[in-house]
Amino acid sequence: MRRAARLAACLAFFCATGAVAQGARIPAEVVDAFHMALRKKDTAGALSLLDRSLLVFEFGAVDPTVEAYAFRHLPFDMDVAVATQWKLETRHVGGEGNERWVLSTYRVTGKQADGAPVDQTMLETVILRRSGDLFRIVHFHWSSSDPAFQARAQRQRTQGETR
Amino acid sequence: MHSKVKLAAAAALMAWTWGSGTALAGHDGVQVDPALKRYAGQVTALGMPDEQGRIYSFQAKRLPAAPAYVPDELRGWRLTMLAGKRFAQAFEVQRNNGSEISVSPLDGPLNGVAVNDVFVMENIAIERASSRQ
Repeated sequence: MRRAARLAACLAFFCATGAVAQGARIPAEVVDAFHMALRKKDTAGALSLLDRSLLVFEFGAVDPTVEAYAFRHLPFDMDVAVATQWKLETRHVGGEGNERWVLSTYRVTGKQADGAPVDQTMLETVILRRSGDLFRIVHFHWSSSDPAFQARAQRQRTQGETR
Repeated sequence: MHSKVKLAAAAALMAWTWGSGTALAGHDGVQVDPALKRYAGQVTALGMPDEQGRIYSFQAKRLPAAPAYVPDELRGWRLTMLAGKRFAQAFEVQRNNGSEISVSPLDGPLNGVAVNDVFVMENIAIERASSRQ
C-alpha cells in the first residue's frame, strides 16, 4: 500500500505538465510544478511560481532575494533537474489560511558530468503564501542527508563567495 | 541601493560559476553539464519607442563581463527577465548586435523593463500559449 502510494506520488510528479505551472492552486501542486518547470527548462514558468519576497537557504548559503536566486542559482538548479531524476519519497503538508508548508524528501539519482553517480536523499522545506487565488513560494530550504555531500557543497559555496 | 549591492554580489558569484564549463552550484555539490547554452546580461539603455510608445529593444552588457555578443547569434533565443517590473516575462530575441538586443513583437513590448534590470538568454525556443496546443 505504501509502495503504491509512493508510485502514485512519483507518477504525479513526473507526469505533471506545464498546465500545472500555470493553473496550480494547491500548495503541493505548486511545489511539483516548480520542479517540473525546472525539468522542462521553463525559466519563466519556474519564476512565476515564486513570490517576490522569496528567501532561499541552500546548503548553508542564503539567496536573500528572488532576483539573487533567479540570477545565480536557478539556472544551475535547472541543470541539475535536467541531469538527474527526483523521486518523491515522503511529503507532509500543513499550515492554515494563507500560509502553508510542504515538506518533501526526494531520492535523487543520476550521473555527474564526469560520470560519477549521484544517489542521495534531498530534503526540501517549502513555505507558500496565498496571493489572490495563487499560492506562491516564499521560502525554500534544501539540504542533503549525505554529510559528505553537504560538506562538499558548503565548501564550494565558501570558495565561490570568497573569490 | 541595497538591491544593487545584492545584485553585484550575485554577479561576482556568477563570474565564478558561469565562467566554468560545468555547473558547480545548483543543489550544490552536484556537477552537471549545463542543460542550455545561456548568457546573462544587464540592461544599460532602453531602445527608442515606436510611434505608439512601444519599446522592443535595449542595450545590454554581459554578466559576468565577457566579449560582446556575436551579431545575430541570439536570434530565436528565449530572453527572460530576472528582475524589475517585468520579472518572469519571456521574450524571443529577433536580432542582436554586439550590445543591442531586439525582441519579437509576438510577445509584446518591453515597456516596464528598466536600466540595470538583469535577464538571461537561453538557446531554446520560447513556448507560447498558441504553440502549446
